[in-house]
Amino acid sequence: MSSFAAPSHLLPLASSAASRRNSSTAAIVSRLPSSNSIIQCDLPSLAASSPSSQNPKPSKSPPFLLKSLISPKSLAISAGSCILFQLSTPLFSGGDSIFNSGGGGGGGGGGGGGGGGGGGGGGQGGNFWSRIFSPAAVAKDDDPQQEWDSHGLPANIVVQLNKLSGFKKYKVSEILFLDRRRGSTVGTEDSFFEMVSLRPGGVYTKAQLQKELETLATCGMFEKVDLETKTNPDGSINITIPFLESTWQSADRFRCINVGLMPQSKPIEMDPDMTEKERLEYYRSQEKDYRRRIERSRPCLLPVSVQREILEMLRDHGKVSARLLQKIRDRVQQWYQENGYACAQVVNFGNLNTKEVVCEVVEGDITQLVIQFQDKLGNVCEGNTQFPVIKREMPKQLRQGQVFNIEAGKQALRNINSLSLFSNIEVNPRPDEKNEGGIIVEIKLKELEQKSAEVSTEWSIVPGRGGRPTLASIQPGGTVSFEHRNINGLNRSLLGSVTTSNFLNPQDDLAFKLEYVHPYIDGVYNPRNRTFRTSCFNSRKLSPVFTGGPGIEEVPPIWVDRAGVKANITENFTRQSKFTYGLVMEEITTRDESSHISATGQRVLPSGGVSADGPPTTLSGTGVDRMAFLQANITRDNTKFLNGTIVGERNVFQLDQGLGIGSKFPFFNRHQLTVTRFLQLKQVEEGAGKSPPPVLVLHGHYGGCVGDLPSYDAFTLGGPYSVRGYNMGELGAARNILEVAAELRIPVRNTHAYVFAEHGNDLGSSKDVKGNPTEVYRRMGHGSSYGAGVKLGLVRAEYAVDHNSGTGAIFFRFGERF
Amino acid sequence: MAGQLIKEWTAIQQFPAATQEKLVDLLGKLKNQNVNTLTILVMGKGGVGKSSTVNSIVGERVVTVSAFQSETPRPVMVSRSRSGFTLNVIDTPGLVEGGYVNDQVLETIKRFLLNKTIDVLLYVDRLDAYRVDNLDKQVVKAIADSFGKEIWHKAMVVLTHAQLSPPDALSYEEFFSKRSESLLKCVRQGARISKKDVKILPTGTPWIPNLVHIITDVTLNGKSGILVDKKLIEGPNANDRGKLFIPLILAFQYFFVIKPIQKWIKYDVARESKPSWD
Repeated sequence: MSSFAAPSHLLPLASSAASRRNSSTAAIVSRLPSSNSIIQCDLPSLAASSPSSQNPKPSKSPPFLLKSLISPKSLAISAGSCILFQLSTPLFSGGDSIFNSGGGGGGGGGGGGGGGGGGGGGGQGGNFWSRIFSPAAVAKDDDPQQEWDSHGLPANIVVQLNKLSGFKKYKVSEILFLDRRRGSTVGTEDSFFEMVSLRPGGVYTKAQLQKELETLATCGMFEKVDLETKTNPDGSINITIPFLESTWQSADRFRCINVGLMPQSKPIEMDPDMTEKERLEYYRSQEKDYRRRIERSRPCLLPVSVQREILEMLRDHGKVSARLLQKIRDRVQQWYQENGYACAQVVNFGNLNTKEVVCEVVEGDITQLVIQFQDKLGNVCEGNTQFPVIKREMPKQLRQGQVFNIEAGKQALRNINSLSLFSNIEVNPRPDEKNEGGIIVEIKLKELEQKSAEVSTEWSIVPGRGGRPTLASIQPGGTVSFEHRNINGLNRSLLGSVTTSNFLNPQDDLAFKLEYVHPYIDGVYNPRNRTFRTSCFNSRKLSPVFTGGPGIEEVPPIWVDRAGVKANITENFTRQSKFTYGLVMEEITTRDESSHISATGQRVLPSGGVSADGPPTTLSGTGVDRMAFLQANITRDNTKFLNGTIVGERNVFQLDQGLGIGSKFPFFNRHQLTVTRFLQLKQVEEGAGKSPPPVLVLHGHYGGCVGDLPSYDAFTLGGPYSVRGYNMGELGAARNILEVAAELRIPVRNTHAYVFAEHGNDLGSSKDVKGNPTEVYRRMGHGSSYGAGVKLGLVRAEYAVDHNSGTGAIFFRFGERF
Repeated sequence: MAGQLIKEWTAIQQFPAATQEKLVDLLGKLKNQNVNTLTILVMGKGGVGKSSTVNSIVGERVVTVSAFQSETPRPVMVSRSRSGFTLNVIDTPGLVEGGYVNDQVLETIKRFLLNKTIDVLLYVDRLDAYRVDNLDKQVVKAIADSFGKEIWHKAMVVLTHAQLSPPDALSYEEFFSKRSESLLKCVRQGARISKKDVKILPTGTPWIPNLVHIITDVTLNGKSGILVDKKLIEGPNANDRGKLFIPLILAFQYFFVIKPIQKWIKYDVARESKPSWD
């Protein structure tokens, strides 16, 4: 069986936000087992159901059972992909256990990668499993050191199987399938070869060979099959398998039914002493049973297009042969697998020898969803998280009664991972023992430590006198943080952090944050997803309002310190689109370089002196403002990644509504609308490794304010997220601004190059900011730029020409402009 | 203004009797119109003789004058009172320095004039400067921008250094009219006013009574004086503009921006391409 596992975390101390983020990406990337491996779980039931070949003539109703469905290839893939490969409680055991070791090897090999204890389910596999795993077993037996015995017979004589010695190990040098009807041998690429586990060069005992013959005889593909050996001069043997392929009359209808959760048809043993009449009776009753079975079955997911395709195959072939059925099976299963129905399995073809071929599929219906918590050692334990929290993250397709889909499983994994409550997540489909053909989806979760604290330290070297770093100026800085997550098991969390660049003098720059997050305020069962958040915060930023224009060398900087409380409600509509609204109360303090509160900006006089009568920094004129305002932000974002490049639309509207509460009773309406379009210029095929389309990005940003506007809330123009090619605020600070930008992205290899043009304008509203900082610091109030760049991983390297001065410069920036 | 000591206008007695008589007459006329104070603002480029003009009006050497350098670093107000009538004359530093209008000076003048009412603006320029250039226009514009163009309705142009010999055989009158015409044109352009409110001091002596006469005329020309308050200096307070409409704007934003975006998101959700298995 397969499972999807997010990599486990390290110690709880280390499980900071960053590491969680890593894990989330890893989880998405984590490869899922090739769906082939999953098939195996459903098949055991077949071994028990009686093969049609037990009937003297596989005529009419006896269902044709396809048993040996697993190609050796599929096993190799599952083992090689190193993903948890787990067989929980094999349904069948018993029989010859010669190949057990091989089966175990295959299972174990897969399990190693998952790290979740892949059970060697094959170990208990019996008759049936032996077939599945035997290629692996053979591979093992293939050891060159393996001893084999010479047949001890004259060369070039045909020996019946039962004439072989039971104590010898025979080396098989060649295997041939001989079609008796056509009188020719069958090529090695034929599907029949998938059905025998014997391989040339392998060493087998008589019992193994007999076993092989038995399985061939019971698989239903042959009317008659035998196994002959021919001795070679070098002591090895050649195996020839003469066979008569089963055929049925041609059909012109095809039907596919889901027989999951239905008991398998179990043909009644036929008494060989039955009279002709009894036999007819028997067939008739069987036919009736089968019809009832079809009626009871549910329609399957196979789309009409595939059904039509299969119908064509039927028509082309005329007579229905075993090989045709195999092809049909392959096609049907291929569709299921391509569409993620990893547990779907063709189990049977029924109604042969009528005009209709009925393909019975066990699609893998989910009978149960089990959520299990594990402790650090992997033992099942009681979890703290409440089940509804997890259940609401489940895609509908993973609910009871649905057909298991691996994509839905991946989605569930991603969704649960985004809760960031668990260090390890496994989504495990496993066969239901009580309900044949049913799947139990098992979700195994390892919870993260609820409480954690973290101290990280860093040393920063600050420039000392003359700009040179000195030893005395090395400061110990760092962050102390704590987190209490998943309070009440409802994913509520409380987190706090304190950061300073100098622990010896923390009053200089102490950044703190205390946040409480309360999700599901409408109730955990309510599909409406609203989260309440409240936080205390502070921040310190350099004001871009007090920046000089071109030519002005140095404007004394103004720092804007904000400290306050915030409470808001976020409603998530989709993963990216959301609506946030809340109340902010903050105190804004403006300081100069030496951390003194400064009520006005400073201006540099032509004489070189500095005068302190620049534009006022605050509304109150004292250097300290207090205000309360409502804040709302609505984001509509339907962007998505198409072959690694972003396409779609994004609109953001943000509103700050002053309430007239605070210093000088600030009453204002500050609003911003951002519109970004990522237009795909060429239709491309979607898929991994395919090249992304060229994209034209159009971007517009309008910001405006009516009412009281302190300078720290003025909109600034210029900077990497405003008008590239200029410094932050180099173009001005205004009451209303408009920015437009266009960027053309051309994919180059696995990254992209781009050209852009941008313009920002204050719409003549610079003078409406108190003190007109735009003019005081000799800024233009508007400006354009254009340039070109290339994306190198996370870094953008671009050459931008500042249109005001006509000079260009190379910039390196992190992240995206839009 | 209140704290300032207002001297008696004694220097008036130094004027010739005829001038004195005329002045008293004019002041009486002003008083009749219930004008008890008269504030005269003197502005102009550097070195045109603003301070000398002030000294001449007051009749005392109240501000130092020097022929070769700027002597007025900051605005100075001279107040004289005579029989209940107060005359304030404000001398200002030259507006032009190094070929540019000095914002700094303009700024200090503005701050100095805060909460004062200006009844008359005397724009001083030299008669013997031949050309009116862009700089004059800029100066005029700067004054208009700082105090509003209304101030030019209370303005008069004073041409100093009039004792010149006109060049190229132009008669004095002709030169004078040409010069004043071009200057007035410039003032009108710069101040963007069309009305010919600006008076030019006509030729002829005695000029002081004449000046005072015109000052009286200008004072009584029906336009009220310019009160220099914060609003005038800083321009209209943009913070107050549109404040009343904020509730309307908010309602508009809610119904015509937030709601449509919400609808849009719902549409997105509905249209979202579901994976094949969903």
